Amino acid sequence: MTAPLLAGVLALAALPAAQADDKAATPATPKKKISGVELYAIHCNRCHPERYPVEFDQRQWQTYMLHMRVRANLPAEQAREILKYLQEEAGY
Amino acid sequence: MKIRSLILGAAAGGCAAGMLVPATGSAAVSEEAFNALSDMVSKQGQALEELKKTHEQDQLVIQQLQQQVGQTSQLATNAEQKAEAAAQSQTVYQAPNPAQTTTHNFQVIGDAEVQFGKSTGQNPTFVLADFAPIFLFRANDNILFEAGFDITLNNNANADGTRAPGSSTTVSLSFAQLDYCLNDYLTLCAGDILLPLGTYSERAAGWLNKIGDDPLVRDWLPGSGIGARLQGALPVGQSGQMVTYAVYVANGPSSGNPTNGFANAGDLDLGGNVGDTPNWHANPSGGGRLAWFIPWKVHYDLELGVSGQTGEWSDNRTHLWSACVLDAALHLGPYFEAKGEYINTWFGTDDLGNLDPHGLWVQTSYKLAGLKRDWPVINNLELVARYDNSDDAQGTYTDRYTVGYVYYFSNTLLFEGDYEFLKSHGPNALPPQMWMLQLSYGF
Repeated sequence: MTAPLLAGVLALAALPAAQADDKAATPATPKKKISGVELYAIHCNRCHPERYPVEFDQRQWQTYMLHMRVRANLPAEQAREILKYLQEEAGY
Repeated sequence: MKIRSLILGAAAGGCAAGMLVPATGSAAVSEEAFNALSDMVSKQGQALEELKKTHEQDQLVIQQLQQQVGQTSQLATNAEQKAEAAAQSQTVYQAPNPAQTTTHNFQVIGDAEVQFGKSTGQNPTFVLADFAPIFLFRANDNILFEAGFDITLNNNANADGTRAPGSSTTVSLSFAQLDYCLNDYLTLCAGDILLPLGTYSERAAGWLNKIGDDPLVRDWLPGSGIGARLQGALPVGQSGQMVTYAVYVANGPSSGNPTNGFANAGDLDLGGNVGDTPNWHANPSGGGRLAWFIPWKVHYDLELGVSGQTGEWSDNRTHLWSACVLDAALHLGPYFEAKGEYINTWFGTDDLGNLDPHGLWVQTSYKLAGLKRDWPVINNLELVARYDNSDDAQGTYTDRYTVGYVYYFSNTLLFEGDYEFLKSHGPNALPPQMWMLQLSYGF
């Protein structure tokens, strides 16, 4: 029971390196990337009323989004896109 | 320039006069004319003397001015050198940027509730005043410390449950965990961690819940535990779809029996094993959650999850406590939501054998703004309905039907009202009806 679990964890920890190798081997193909504002609309309203970007400043959003990345278990890339949108719209 | 012109003019005048002298000399010069000319030359000589004096004074003034310019230049050079020195010292001892100070990485979020309600057989009363701050401190882009508290006011009571004078404030730690994002796919959470048994503890408790109380069946699960968790999410495609995962170890439930070794049914203590002295039992529990989140367009999504935990709970290590939770959440547009959990737990006991408390809850809600009418007050309302049941496996079974509303004064200030009908029987049966009003503020 422990061995497969440990193997899975190690495989996940090694994912960034494997992904970097893949990028080097195959040329990137353009794909429609979902935007930060779309991800904001998809994720944030699932559990609570949406918080407006102007409610916090850019630094506060950075802290808030790290909290939400952990709490909602969001993919890191999606959390970064949402943060980028919130910081751009925060205005200060 | 003017002085020099005057001098040249006087000299030219003198020369002209000199040229005139021979001409006149050749003729007969009257004494009167000679005297006049002599007087004129004398005056010109005086004028030249005055001009020389003025020129000398001007030269003196020019020298003084040149000295002052030199001093000013020296002062400017000194100031420039001082500025350079100051800039170098700032490189070594950089002044703090207000936007990067530690206090700016510190943030308080959370919620507060005030509740007024009545249940069958009781008088209507303010039943809850709760302040639940969450302190966040972000050390850098990957490390966060977060701690949540529940501060409530309670009537005093004697050990046997009878009333006692006065009231007391209860401060309880809901969770306190250090989050370290190891990479994009793994995050380590350690401390008093919220347990991912379903999603309720992490994403629906407090003001996030659209009904003023918790589903009954959540009483059979611990909300948090001392331990460590690895979690992460794998995005699937580019549509926002993802698979999320979490595995953890935690101290797990323990026996509250004062006599070590006994593990009767009533001794199960879901949140009591916090690891301080004495350590109730050595082996921690293990658990995890696996979920799939599928959005097909913005505000339209489905999440399905399965989670569980198992481990010893008795001090003599003879009995296990285990739980399995199935959870689902569905959004059909920005106005409709349905979610729920099925929870089954099992634990062995010394006195009653194996028990399996279980139950479920299903909750739906609809925001009347979805009717797209120009109704300013109605548009701020959300209707909520919930069905939940609970079987404690010791003879008490409860069905509960709840209807209610949420009025949104803003996105953070909510006024909720709920009415509950209960069908409950057994030794721990609940009152048949209850209503409550709650004002919630999330910050």
